[in-house]
Formats: sequence, C-alpha cells, structure tokens
Amino acid sequence: MLLIIKGVGFVIHVYSIGYMEKDPEFSRFFSYLNFFIFSMSLLVLAADFFFLIVGWAFVGLASYLLIGFWKEKTSAVLAARKAFVMNVIGDVGMVIAAFIIFEHLGTLNFLEVFATAKSTFRPNDDAILLITMFLLVGAFAKSAQIPLHTWLADAMEGPTPVSALIHAATMVTAGVYLIARCHVLYELAPFTMYLIATVGAVTAIFAGSMAIVQYDIKRVIAYSTMSQLGFMFLAVGVGMYSIAMFHLMTHAFFKALLFLSAGSVIHGLNDEQDIRKMGGIRHSMPITHVTFLIGSLALAGFPLTSGFFSKEAIIINSYHADMGNIIFWAMAIIGAVMTGFYIFRVYFYVFSGQPRTNVKAHESPVIMIAPLGLLAFLSLTAGFGGGMVDDFLSTYFGAHMPHPDDILLETIGLSAGLIGIVGAVGFYMTGKDRLEFVKQMLAPLYDLLFNKYYIDEIYDFLIVKPTRAVGAFLEERAEKFGVDFAVDQVGVQIREVSRLISLWQSGNVRLYAFNMIVGVVTILMFVVFL
Amino acid sequence: MLTLIVFIPLIAALVLLFVNKDDAGTIRTISVGAATLTFLISLALLSRFDSSLQGMQFTETFVWVPMFQINYQMGVDGISLWLVVLTAFISLIAVCFSLDRQVGFRNFMALLLALEAGTLGVFVALDLILFYVFWELMLVPTYFLIGIWGEGRRVYATTKFVLYTLVGSLLMLLGIIWLGLIHFEATQQFSFDIQVLSHMKIDPADQVWLFLFFLSAFAIKIPIFPLHSWLPHAYVSSPIPVLLLLTGVMSKAGAYGIIRFCLPLFPDAVDSFGLVIAFGAAAGIVYGAWIAIAQSDLKALVAYSSISHLGFIALGIFALNGEGIEGSVLQMVNHGIIASALFIIVGILEKKMGTRNLKDFRGLGKAMPLLYGMFMLITLAALGLPGLNGFVGEFLILMGVWTSLLLADLSVIYVLMAGLAIVFASIYMLYMFQGAMQEKNDKIPEGLTDINFREFGLLLPACILVVFIGLYPKPFIDRVSPSVESILTLEKNINLHAGEDKSGHH
Repeated sequence: MLLIIKGVGFVIHVYSIGYMEKDPEFSRFFSYLNFFIFSMSLLVLAADFFFLIVGWAFVGLASYLLIGFWKEKTSAVLAARKAFVMNVIGDVGMVIAAFIIFEHLGTLNFLEVFATAKSTFRPNDDAILLITMFLLVGAFAKSAQIPLHTWLADAMEGPTPVSALIHAATMVTAGVYLIARCHVLYELAPFTMYLIATVGAVTAIFAGSMAIVQYDIKRVIAYSTMSQLGFMFLAVGVGMYSIAMFHLMTHAFFKALLFLSAGSVIHGLNDEQDIRKMGGIRHSMPITHVTFLIGSLALAGFPLTSGFFSKEAIIINSYHADMGNIIFWAMAIIGAVMTGFYIFRVYFYVFSGQPRTNVKAHESPVIMIAPLGLLAFLSLTAGFGGGMVDDFLSTYFGAHMPHPDDILLETIGLSAGLIGIVGAVGFYMTGKDRLEFVKQMLAPLYDLLFNKYYIDEIYDFLIVKPTRAVGAFLEERAEKFGVDFAVDQVGVQIREVSRLISLWQSGNVRLYAFNMIVGVVTILMFVVFL
Repeated sequence: MLTLIVFIPLIAALVLLFVNKDDAGTIRTISVGAATLTFLISLALLSRFDSSLQGMQFTETFVWVPMFQINYQMGVDGISLWLVVLTAFISLIAVCFSLDRQVGFRNFMALLLALEAGTLGVFVALDLILFYVFWELMLVPTYFLIGIWGEGRRVYATTKFVLYTLVGSLLMLLGIIWLGLIHFEATQQFSFDIQVLSHMKIDPADQVWLFLFFLSAFAIKIPIFPLHSWLPHAYVSSPIPVLLLLTGVMSKAGAYGIIRFCLPLFPDAVDSFGLVIAFGAAAGIVYGAWIAIAQSDLKALVAYSSISHLGFIALGIFALNGEGIEGSVLQMVNHGIIASALFIIVGILEKKMGTRNLKDFRGLGKAMPLLYGMFMLITLAALGLPGLNGFVGEFLILMGVWTSLLLADLSVIYVLMAGLAIVFASIYMLYMFQGAMQEKNDKIPEGLTDINFREFGLLLPACILVVFIGLYPKPFIDRVSPSVESILTLEKNINLHAGEDKSGHH
C-alpha cells in the first residue's frame, strides 16, 4: 500500500508541476499535496487504532483542503464542506469503534488486538458486530460507498491531479485497506462481511449506472472509481483480501492514468470538462489518446491488461469463494458490462468523430506526458504481478488466493467487459439516431440516472432541511418560549408577588389595625383550642 | 506567591481608579504591566510545580476570622494550576485586546483587572468562605462591564446574568454555612477548610441537599443544560475582552467547583444524581450544536457552540474516572484557548466590516490571507480535528464516558449524542469559516487590510498552543492526573477502569 501511495504520489507530483503551472498559488498546492502524502503514510504505517484515526482524519483534512483549493469557486467550497462532513461522520464511527475495542480488549495496538480478538469474541458476538459496523462507517465514508457516497462526485471540483491522487488512487481505497487490515476482526463477524459484499456489489452497479449518463468527463471517471471500489468491497466481503489489494493496486495505476489523461485533455482544451464539447482530438493529442485508450482498456478489463487479471479474479471469486454466491457474481458481471460501456462512451465522445467546438486542442507538455507513459506501462503490465502481490500479502492474510478453474464463468466474465465495449461502439460509432431513440425510450430511467437517483435531493429533503429547521425551531421556540421564558417568568412572578405583598404596606392605619386584630384572634384561637 | 497572583491585578485595579482618566498612556502601562506580571508569576508557578505530589502546593494560610475558624488559605494542585495559568494568559490577551478602547477606558481596565483577580482567587482559594468571596468578586465587575460597555439589550442581559448566577451562589452560601455547622456538631469546632471537610462523613440525606445547593451555583455558571439561557444574552451583549474572560475562564470556574467541591464532599449524592446531570450535559452538547447551525450572527454562533463544548466538560466530570476528568480539565484549557481565539477573530471581523452577520461576509480570505490561515487552524481545532487540541480532550472525555461505571446505563447514548454534536460542529464551524473567508466576493470593501501586528500577536499564542497540546498533551496530563487521582480517592468510589491506562493512547 505504501508503495502505491509513494509511487503514484511521485508520478502525480511530477504531472502537477505541468498542470498547475499557471496557478497563482502553486506553492500552496504542493504543500497541501505533500501534507496529504504525509497523512496517508501515517494512516498506513500506523500500528494502532489511535494513529490510524489521526491519519484517517488528516487525509480527510487534506482532501478537504485540496477539493476546496480553488476557494473562490462556490461549488468547490460546497463540495469541500460536503466531503469533510461526510468524513467526520466516518471519523466518529471509527472513534466509537476504537472505544469498544478498548473496552473489551484494553488495548488499541493492532497486533495485540488481533492476537486477543479470537479468544475474546465468539463469531457474530454483539460486540464484534458493533466494532466491525462502526469501523465500516469510517470505511464507507472514506471509500464513498452507499449511503455515504455523494461527496465523491462533487469532489471533482478540485484540481485534476488531486482527483487522480486522492479520489482515485489512494485515499478512497483506505476503506478497503482498513477492512483488509482488520480482517481478523471481520472474519469473526460473517454478518458484516455479507453486508460489505452486498453494499460493494450494489455500489458497483449503482455507480456504474450513473456513470453511463454523465457528461462531465471527470464525473464519469469519479463514478467509475466508486464502482471499482464497489468491486474491491465485494472482494473483501467474500474474504478475498489479497485480490482486493491486487485490484486496489491495478486500479490505482489505471485510474490515475485515466484521470491524468483526462486532465491532459482538459488542459489541452482550455479547461473544458464537458464531453459533448469535445471530439476528434485523436489527431491533435496523439499521446494522450493512446494513454487514455490504455487506461480505458484496463478499466474495462480487456484481456491481458492489468484490470483484466484483478477484476476477473474478483468476479470468479464472488461465486467460488466460501462466502460467494450467484447473486454477487451476477451483480459483478452487470457492473463489468457497465464499466466497459461507460468508459468507451467517453472515449468515443472525446477522441473520435469531429471536433464539436472551435477550441484548438494542443498536446500537453512533456512533464505531463512522461508520467502518463509510466502509468500506461504499469497499467498494461501490472496484471502479471498478481502472483507477486499474493505472495507478498499471503503471510498477513494467512492464505493464498485460490485459482478456481471454471472455464464457463471465466469466459462469461471475460466477455462482460467486451460486451460493454461493443455496446458503446454500437451506440456511439454508428450515428446519432439510435442513441436519441434509446434516450427517448428510456427517458424516465435516463432522468433518474442523470440526476444521480436524486440522492442529493433526498438527503437535502430528509436530513439537511429538517436539521436546519429543528435548529431554528430550537432557537425560536424551545429557547425563547421554553427554557428562557421559564427563567424570565421566575423573575416576573416574584415581582408580581412582591407587588401583592406591598399592597399590605399601604400606610393605611385602619388596615393595619384590622390586620392586627385578625392576627391576635388567630393566635388566641391557637392558644385556646390547641 | 499565590497571594501575589491574586492581588497584583486587584491592586492595579485600585490604583487605576486614582489615575487621571484621560491619561491613556499611564493606564495602559499599569494594566498591561499588571497582567503581564501576573502571567509571568503564573508561569513561574508552573515551572516550580512538582508533578509527582498529589496534594496542594504553594499553600499559604493566615487566620482571618478566628471565631469561626475562617482562614485565608490558598494553594494549587494540578487541576487549578492549569486554570490559573489559563486565566492569567487570557486576561493578558483580553487586556491587550482592549487597549484602543475609547469610552471609559480607565474604568473598563480597572474592572477587567478586578475580574481577573476574582477569577484567579476562585481557583486558588482553599477555604470555602474565601472561595465564596472571590466567587462574588467575579460577578460584580462583570455586571458593570456588560451593563455599561455592552451592546444590544445589555442591561437586560447583565441583570439576567447576575440575578441568575446570584440565585445559585446564594444557595451555595447556604450550603457552605450548613457544612460548617455539620463540622461544628461533629467536632465542636468550625472549619471551612476544604481539605478538612472532604474527609468528613456527611449523612447521605444531607448530602443530597448540600449537593444540590452547590451544584446550582456551579451548573448555572458553566452552564449545564437547561440552566444556560443567560448565556446567549450575556455573550452576545458582552464586549469582546469581557467575553474572553467570561467564556475562557469564568465558565471553567463552575466546572472547577464541581471537581473541587462536589465530588469529594458529596460522593453519595454524586452517585445518585450523576446520571441525570450527565444527561443534562449531553443534551446541552447536542442542543447547543443544533442551535449553532441555525445562527448567522457570528457571536451567537460561537456562543451556542460554547454551550455545546462546555457540555463536554461537564459530561467528562460525571464520567467519574481518570480519563473523563483529565479530559475535562484538558478540555477546559482547550476551550479557553479556542473559544477566546474565535471571539477575538469575531471581534476583528466586526471591527473591520462593521457587522457580525455571516450573510454580509464572503470571500474575505483574499484580502486577509494571514487571518485566513489562523481562522482555519482555530476552526479545525474547534471542530475536533485529530492532531489539534480539541480532539485530545474530546477523545479522553468520550473514552471516559464509554468506560464509566457511573454512567454505564446510558454511556452509549451519551457518546452517540456527543458524536452527533461533533458532526454538527464540523457543519457549523465550516459554515462559519467558509462563509466568511471563502468564495468569490466582488464587494469586498476598499482598503480592507489584513490583521495588523498586534492582532497577529494576540492570535499567535493560541495557534501555537492549539497545535502543541494537540500533538503533545503529556505535560498537561502529567500534572493533572495525580490530582485527579486524589480527588477520585476522596470520592471513595473509584471507578475500576480509572487507573488502568493513563498514557497508552497518546
């Protein structure tokens, strides 16, 4: 993991020099970026839960700073806030998990916790379920899984290298890392594992479907990241940790490649992000074209690219692993088809056909191209390192990853990505009519997808608005007419009572005399009768 | 030494009354000099404090009223030590902040120093009567400071504040006298020495009433929900320097009182009421945070966020174990630093922009990069980012609550409530910071300048401390924990978890 962070981090640093060159706050950008690398290293090097949480929150902060880097852009500011708040929800979950661990095991050190966990908890114990669930809140928040996923697409408001580094290659995979790191705990909680696998599979499809209809090039890739993270969660959920880490690695390469290529396109087209306004830049940006193609192929799982090996392994194992079943497998296949489709949709939009605007595209400078080449190379070849990753990690996870032989499933899995690609070719290469026809046929579905299932609106309606309303209500009603009113009334009533009492001291002698007689009579009655 | 600390500001305040009120230079020299001197002595106190001892240090005793055994008795332990340093520190900042005040400059300064003296006295007094005297001394200057130099409905606010807290403190006086009488019945001798009284057995039935009397004074002062309603009025009306003392240290006096008096004196009552009071604290945490979200007046926003953060402190105390109380003491220091820095920033913004309404602010960061950075740091500390001081305190407190025996029945709920409030904190803090400093604004007033050297100097120590305590809280915890231990021993119900782990998670 550290190797990925440092490796990809270095490449992206080099790239950023070119990308951010014209920005007036060049140095601030790099200080944030390095703060991120530091935090991420802290996260993965932490040997106990306390430092894990510190690193966890630091990367959240770094992500916040970098998303909101262009602080004069309102949308960036809002996106940053959203990301931060979602991450704080995750942090709180992690902290509570740490409390439960400490309460039961008396330590927060990884080695001690994992050593004693097995003897302390029975499988599916309440405590272990709670621990894994609360840790999961952190993992889901960080890795943008349903229902804490909405921040990731908005996070694309940040500079593109940031999206590549944080929101594709490293930070968002921290959730996968966390679960793999705590696999001892998760193995004691099969229920949570099922939950993870389910959420992962659902997110894979859910995000994939949203990616199909987006027009912002970075958003498409962002949803694709979510979808791939879903695959990784599916893998850890069925207990295939080293495969998940393997996919994490290959994903880091090809997704960083895709983002940086996209950044190169955006850069070349003067900060244009809408794919409808791109097109035919194959010739003007030949190198970017090739690298983007390689990234797309790897993402789609085209045979012999790196994505092929890792994704294939996940798909196969979602059925063949002990905890796998046919539903997970089917969902993974659907996700894979979508992947092929949406990424080649973008590819065809951007690189083929005729230019749709007058902007003259130009190739990016060498300092941006060189990192692309390196990442492209890795995206192509990293797949062959699967065995190595497995050997490397098997000591920690205690088992090698299995290689089930099932020609039928393998063939289906292999063809899934290809079907997606072919589908994209069918739609986007053969003229517009069919596309418009389908769009109209499926108009309601299209709207639903384009609006991201209205999740943002639902959250706004169900959570944000009521929260504000309750806040206002508490101030207007509970505070002014409840708590504070009661206190004021004490004062008012006392004044009222003293006014009544003061009536007695009217200076009226006859009244005084009368009172005296009443008093004397009362006392006499006491004396006589008691 | 403690006498010096308390009386230097008080004497300076008296001297100021005889200075020509137009002679701003002399007034400045005297007030800054006194505050600085006090602060330096408090630092000396800190360096000479022996953290290996449990009991009171630097004690001073003189007989005051022999007939009732009332003594002038002072001393500090690890808990009050930090509060003394904090008070001296914040007073210095408050004094420096108000140097360019025009109207009634002399009287303002004199009252400010008197307030400092009262607060310091509260933290060092070991005799209950002496404590009470300082407790009221703290109140009187505040009444005038808010009433004369305040803003908005200042008279209403200050009257409410004073009457409210006075009700509490009169009940406490009743409690103090009752305690003295109990001691008299037992030994035929009066005593108001807290160290003596805390070893006395008190009938549980009496404890309940005594506890409630004392608590009413302290809970109003902190304030614990639902006794907080004076706070928004007083905070919003209060001039910034007074506010620094009000939120920075005076609210801590209440929490300190609970730790120093309620826990050792009335252990049985604490046991039976702890759960309820902790519920008030936890409710206050959420309540304050929730209202803060709906605020657009910066001062009110920070005021409500204070209710929330002070709730944490109260909650930690009633966890009644090592982590909880240490966390509370640390959080007192943290909140003192963070809240006062936030109020300074609000004051600076108000001075520059002429308004405190968040809706009128936008994109100020561009004109004020320095303030932008400091504001961000303080904001992050206030919302409890790990690595900054707010987190350490909150983590310890919640850890204490989670493992607390006293709160075991509801601890999960309390922690979840606090968790919700932390999420809210990130919302309203970012709302405030981003709303004021970020985004694009074409209407930034001409000539809006960054903070000047003095303002920078006022904020700088807070910024340094925020990071330092966040990364290395050990020197604080080390000095606090022996004293907390001894209080828990006195409390006679030591929580079994308390001693297990002191430093494993730092």
